[in-house]
Amino acid sequence: MECELVPSVCSYCGTGCGVLFEVIDKELAGTLPMKTHPVNEGKLCIKGWNLHEHINSPLRLKQPLVRSFGRFLKTGWDEAIAIAARRFREIIDQYGPESVGVLVSAKITNEENYLAMKLARAVLGTNSVDHCARL
Amino acid sequence: MKARVRRWLEEGTVDVFIGYRQVDGHPLPYCFTRENLDALDGLINSPARYALEKIATHLASRQPDLKIGILSLDTNRRALNVLGIWNQINPENITTVDADDAASGVATPDDMRTFEPVVPGPYKQQVGIDNAMSPADAEAFDQSERFSRWMYEFEKCIKCYGCRNICPVCFCRECSLEHRDLIGTGPLPPDVPIFHLVRAVHMAGRCIDCGLCEEACPADISLRLLYRKVNQILDNVFEYQTGSDPGQPPFSLLGNQVTLEPKPLDADK
Ligand code: SF4
Ligand code: SF4
Ligand code: SF4
Repeated sequence: MECELVPSVCSYCGTGCGVLFEVIDKELAGTLPMKTHPVNEGKLCIKGWNLHEHINSPLRLKQPLVRSFGRFLKTGWDEAIAIAARRFREIIDQYGPESVGVLVSAKITNEENYLAMKLARAVLGTNSVDHCARL
Repeated sequence: MKARVRRWLEEGTVDVFIGYRQVDGHPLPYCFTRENLDALDGLINSPARYALEKIATHLASRQPDLKIGILSLDTNRRALNVLGIWNQINPENITTVDADDAASGVATPDDMRTFEPVVPGPYKQQVGIDNAMSPADAEAFDQSERFSRWMYEFEKCIKCYGCRNICPVCFCRECSLEHRDLIGTGPLPPDVPIFHLVRAVHMAGRCIDCGLCEEACPADISLRLLYRKVNQILDNVFEYQTGSDPGQPPFSLLGNQVTLEPKPLDADK
């Protein structure tokens, strides 16, 4: 029997509470609040308490979907990224870079948000970057 | 102490030992095993308490014959007593080490020895219930003030279920706090005071006064005090001290003894 308590950060909102994942025999069996974490001091909201349920859910999206004729089709990352890049190219060529924008999220890290901003400004050429917390 | 745990693991007295270890600068629960004996050098006692026995029940539910050692404080032992009499764990498979024992040789990291006691803010003092009160203090208010003070506390609830999730002796498969006809999951704000009173009633015979629920409550509700009152009633009315003895029967409202004379089966003849 292998049991590990793995410290991590809740991915559900920008608060960033410290959690402990209870991993038994490589399976995520539970989530606990980290008592000494400076952000949450041993407390969590209901989303944080149920992180393991989300991760183990059969409904969890594990690969990209591409919409084709109104239906979502499962595909690989390379293809999904290629399709997105092609559409960006077409739209920017036709209407200019200001016609696209990027929405970032509190569920990703600061660093990932920074990279998304870089992609928007330096690659796509738009200043329209917004955040899910303002929607 | 570390040597003792090492010997236990080597000799098979225990298959896994649940204690604490400093990980990434935080004292965290840690499962020591035979395969990684060197990790034992890092065994510490943590000032931040976790319900180690709850982790043990999760392990035991997957592998019922697993022999588990637990670094224990008084509260852990009381919880283990309750878990044992409710068949959540087999006491024969559990070995405890006293974390309070100064001779145990398990260090508490100095910089974290105690947490600052939380002083309630002025508003809570004025209209709520100070978590540090005794049941008698809280009952000294007249009835309407007592009611409004408790309701102030309960109304802060965000229904995170943290009090139930962290509780070492909450193990029911179907929880009344999720039962559609009582409270139900989802809608906010929660029904108060029903949510808290249902839980309080259900803690009769379970709650071992560890205080973990109150520590986990994001709304700083004086939960421990509420359950202390329940325990006081249990003690005064039923003479039942939850978790005090591994041999005690599970708490039953009907009592443990038949007080009526058993009627002979052929009484009518
Ligand atoms: S536990 Fe709740 S408040 Fe904390 S980061 Fe997760 S979602 Fe946000
Ligand atoms: S004090 Fe709270 S967490 Fe501890 S046993 Fe009682 S109800 Fe459970
Ligand atoms: S921990 Fe506090 S806020 Fe969360 S459900 Fe329990 S009483 Fe409500």
